[in-house]
Amino acid sequence: MILIKDLVVKLGDFSLIIDYLEINDGEYFVVLGPSGVGKTVFLYTLMGFLKPLKGKIEVNGIDITYWPPEKRNFALIPQDFSLFPHMNVFGNIAYGLKIKGLSKDYIDRVVHEIASILEIEHILNRNVDSLSGGEKQRVALARALVVRPHVLLLDEPFANLDPRLRAKSRRFIKRIHERLRFTAIHVTHSIIDAILMADRVGYMKEGKFVIISHPKDFIKTEYARPYLDEILPLSEYLRGADYSN
Amino acid sequence: MLRRAESLMLLFVSITTLGICFIVLPIIALFLLLDPNILAKIYLKDPIFYVQTRKVFLITLEASSISTMLLITLGIPIAYLLARSNFVGKSIVEGIIDIPLMLPHTVAGIMILCAYSGRGLLGDLLKALNITIEDNFWGIVITMMFVSFPLMVDTIKIGFESVNPTLELVARSLGASAFKAFTTISLPLASQSILAGAILAWARALSEIGAILVVAYFPKTINVLTLEWLNTYGLKYAIALSIPLVLLALLLFIVFRLMVSRK
Repeated sequence: MILIKDLVVKLGDFSLIIDYLEINDGEYFVVLGPSGVGKTVFLYTLMGFLKPLKGKIEVNGIDITYWPPEKRNFALIPQDFSLFPHMNVFGNIAYGLKIKGLSKDYIDRVVHEIASILEIEHILNRNVDSLSGGEKQRVALARALVVRPHVLLLDEPFANLDPRLRAKSRRFIKRIHERLRFTAIHVTHSIIDAILMADRVGYMKEGKFVIISHPKDFIKTEYARPYLDEILPLSEYLRGADYSN
Repeated sequence: MLRRAESLMLLFVSITTLGICFIVLPIIALFLLLDPNILAKIYLKDPIFYVQTRKVFLITLEASSISTMLLITLGIPIAYLLARSNFVGKSIVEGIIDIPLMLPHTVAGIMILCAYSGRGLLGDLLKALNITIEDNFWGIVITMMFVSFPLMVDTIKIGFESVNPTLELVARSLGASAFKAFTTISLPLASQSILAGAILAWARALSEIGAILVVAYFPKTINVLTLEWLNTYGLKYAIALSIPLVLLALLLFIVFRLMVSRK
């Protein structure tokens, strides 16, 4: 379990303030909010790239607030996936295991295992430049999951995918999460991600979580209104239109 | 309108051709005026000449290679720092690094003497450490380093700037320390720029004469000897001595262009 208490992070004029936040093991927690509200600051603080002024971050009772990023075991999937361009798919997935100095046989076995789960075994020898957006996302997911992180941090993971692939990727990640039950913190400005993927949604405004709730409860709040105002007319239109063909 | 545009392009093509000829003509002239007998004499047949030419080539290659290696060691951390961080006075630091590019070469030599020679600012300290630069091999190395410094740092910096910083964040999140993320991600991805910087710095070091004349006339480098032979034996001997340098410079240039086009 991750516990965040009385956390204050300052970045110029901006402040991130979290009084209390618990994220349970295996939970899929979505951080929702428009640009500039502190979602990335939150993510970078969890990662250890930004140091808080005060407060603490605990993982299973251990205070990790000032631990360096490499000791935290919080794996990041950035918006652009950031695959290492000088390594092939296998090299990318094996990177974290090689850094830990694990044996070649073990790395080989574990990489194939995760590649099989994520259905990318057939591209292990491919150059990352030749991959499609969806394949890149799966490789980034495999690279992060293979190190068995405490938490998987996903920073707008669907932003660089086209809409058709986005829907497919949501279903895929949801399915993988249900199977592997890793703890995930997913940062997004899409309410669709929040509704379809989250166990709980945390809505951020001006550097604070103003509400944390189940998606079903969240959509009834005033914070969901602007998002729903945008998509409801579309759903009404679709209800009235024959688009089956 | 179209005809006017074509005429303009024709004018520019003509000017470009003239510009290319301006550069290529001296290279062609050098080979046309080369006397093969003198070439054979100074490199193969006459020991009075070839002992000296071989020695100066060796000194020049050794000094330029050592200065390049030292510059790589210095240049990588400096370039990485400049590419990755923003700090107060960064543009001043960048400006200071580029100073050797702007200086007349003899002035650069005088400045090196003022700072690092026995009579210079750090003279007593260097004497205590038994380090001399005047008319000394290490004086050549230091001079070459000074004039090549900006080329090395600026080229490597461009390489680091082109590496997406998020790659290192991901590596850190996967368990790599800052140093490990640097050596396994940024360094290999900037390796072409490091090599390009090394080639440029080496070529610059090889070509230096003005500052070397001021700091360390002895032991003679190939450029110092070429100038001396031009004054003593005339143009034909200077040409024969210049040929290997031209070939080496062309080879470096081709390698550099190939690397740039591969990027």
